[in-house]
Amino acid sequence: MSQNLILLGVNHTTAPIEVRERLAIAPGRLADATRTLLHQPGVREGLILSTCNRVELVTLQEREPTAKADLLRFLDEYFSVPAATIQPHLYEFREREAVRHLFRVASSLDSMVVGEPQILGQVKESYPVAREVGAVAGTLDALLQRAFTVAKRVRTETQIGSNSVSIASVAVDLARKIFGSLQGKTVLLVGAGKMSELAARHLIQHGATSILVSNRTQARAEKLAAEFLHASVTTTVIPYEDLYEQAARADIVITSTGAPQKLFSRSHGQHFLQRRRNRPMFFIDIAVPRDVDPGMNEVEGCFVYDIDDLQQVAQANLADRSREAQSAENIITEEVARYQQRLQSRDAVPAILALQQTAEQVREAELARTLAKLASTGLTPAQQTAIEALTRSLTAKLLHPQLIALRKSAAAPEEE
Amino acid sequence: MSLLWLRVAVLLYGIASLAVLPAALYDRPRWRHIAVPATIAAILFHFVSFAEMLNAAHHMLPVDTHETQALLALLLALAFLLVYWRYKTVSLGVFILPVVVLLTLVPAFRPSHETLQLAHSNWIFLHIALLLAGYACLILSLLASLLYLIQERRLKSRSQATSRIKLPPLETIDQIALNTLLIGLPCMTAGLLIGSAVAAVTVGPAFFLDPKVLLSFAMWIAYVGMIHIRRISGLRGRRAVYLSTFVFFVVVTVWAANSLSAVHRFSSL
Repeated sequence: MSQNLILLGVNHTTAPIEVRERLAIAPGRLADATRTLLHQPGVREGLILSTCNRVELVTLQEREPTAKADLLRFLDEYFSVPAATIQPHLYEFREREAVRHLFRVASSLDSMVVGEPQILGQVKESYPVAREVGAVAGTLDALLQRAFTVAKRVRTETQIGSNSVSIASVAVDLARKIFGSLQGKTVLLVGAGKMSELAARHLIQHGATSILVSNRTQARAEKLAAEFLHASVTTTVIPYEDLYEQAARADIVITSTGAPQKLFSRSHGQHFLQRRRNRPMFFIDIAVPRDVDPGMNEVEGCFVYDIDDLQQVAQANLADRSREAQSAENIITEEVARYQQRLQSRDAVPAILALQQTAEQVREAELARTLAKLASTGLTPAQQTAIEALTRSLTAKLLHPQLIALRKSAAAPEEE
Repeated sequence: MSLLWLRVAVLLYGIASLAVLPAALYDRPRWRHIAVPATIAAILFHFVSFAEMLNAAHHMLPVDTHETQALLALLLALAFLLVYWRYKTVSLGVFILPVVVLLTLVPAFRPSHETLQLAHSNWIFLHIALLLAGYACLILSLLASLLYLIQERRLKSRSQATSRIKLPPLETIDQIALNTLLIGLPCMTAGLLIGSAVAAVTVGPAFFLDPKVLLSFAMWIAYVGMIHIRRISGLRGRRAVYLSTFVFFVVVTVWAANSLSAVHRFSSL
């Protein structure tokens, strides 16, 4: 490889939050940081990826031997973090391994939660910033474009991101398995709790348009309802004494009270279903001790998931993602090899051009010499053209095997 | 030649039946790209075969059990495509496509030697086609109800967490089950009315004492009753399957009642 691709960084596995937070770059400062990086000695192209879990510098360097030291100096000067503090947590990848790492990062194989979709968005956000300041052009541009394509391929060809792994998103997934679209669905929150609030927010994000809130303490219900004041959501506070009367209005019920006894029994479920003309109801019971009688799950049309059930689903999904990660790694290996091959083919072009140019110069010189020698013999224009054609043909035939060999060797995979 | 096209169609239906399994159950889009085009190609061959079959026999309507079976299969395959187009799910294909293969297998490899004794008329063709469309909708609805039951059980047992099998959401399946019935009702009603009008003209009042005809009207009442119950009470799940199965058996009884009928009887050529 003619370029010196170097990737330096820290992530959630190598550096504690205390180090990561000192290196983190706010979106507003990213352009300035990238511009400063580009002005470092030897840096031809560069990109900075800064997320809550990683800070990485992807650079194309001219001065390969001092590249790492130059980058460490940049980190030291720009973030005021001494090299000695960062170095123990730093990882460094070069050339092929840097390409592989970048592909893995973009495909979310290096993320804390494997398969999470945000990382690709974050790489895509860094890319235009770097382009704008002129830090990404030819080679790095092509590499990043390839990384986006690889990430897309990984998501399409594997199931790495198809299953949710957080409690709130598992709840949304289950609700969608029951109701399909959540558009226009009503969510009832009974009790207050951070997790139930988070689950409700996820449901709203996916289309739920009506929130009912009920709490033993009316003031707390009103406070919670105020949290959901949103243009597209209707929020209603239901007095606790009307809970059983109103609960049938909800498609999804999230319970998280601290009540010592069950709030909803099996017979409540039957009653609700009757009132809803058998339209299904989904109970998400986050409370411990549980608010919903597990027997209600036996009522046709009632689906009850407690915190353990949700956690079990999340863990199963996580295991699923790990299985899919292996298929994703195979895709990455294949894509790295393909990228390298393309790069080598591109590297061979100057050599081919140089060879052709040298051959042409030799041919022209020899032709001129021969024609000068034969000038006294009075060559006709037809004879001169024939000699010139002969030299062209000879050169082309002699060069042909060399050019083929050059192209083949460029296309052949690089030896490890 | 029509048999050759039908055999090609059977082969394509078979491919679609196999491809739909990973497409529907494991959510593999590549297999869906095989199952759906294979079904479309099969339908085209099936249609060509059916048209040639009728053309060669110089009649415009299916006159024997095999031709009728082939038409029902064609309608079922079309219904599967319609459901795919409307709801973007191929899950019902897991059930429908094998049924289509079975229905076309016999006409494709064992041609029939019996015929139905009736007048060759476009009205009769319409009568048969509409009734078969009604049957196809009922079968589709029954299969959707079964799928609902399976998905409901999976969600209740939490097995969906560990299983990689993907099925459509419950509400979508319920909509398919109800909407197919709602489409089937006008087909069945029009089919019966046309048949009755033609019979009143050609056979006279005696037609209405025919056991098959009486059973057909009973079937229509059961069909209407089922839709009414489903709509009024929002019946789903296990009880919906029971109800659909009951009406399906009524339909099968009506189908099988040809031997009791003076006007629908098949006879050897």
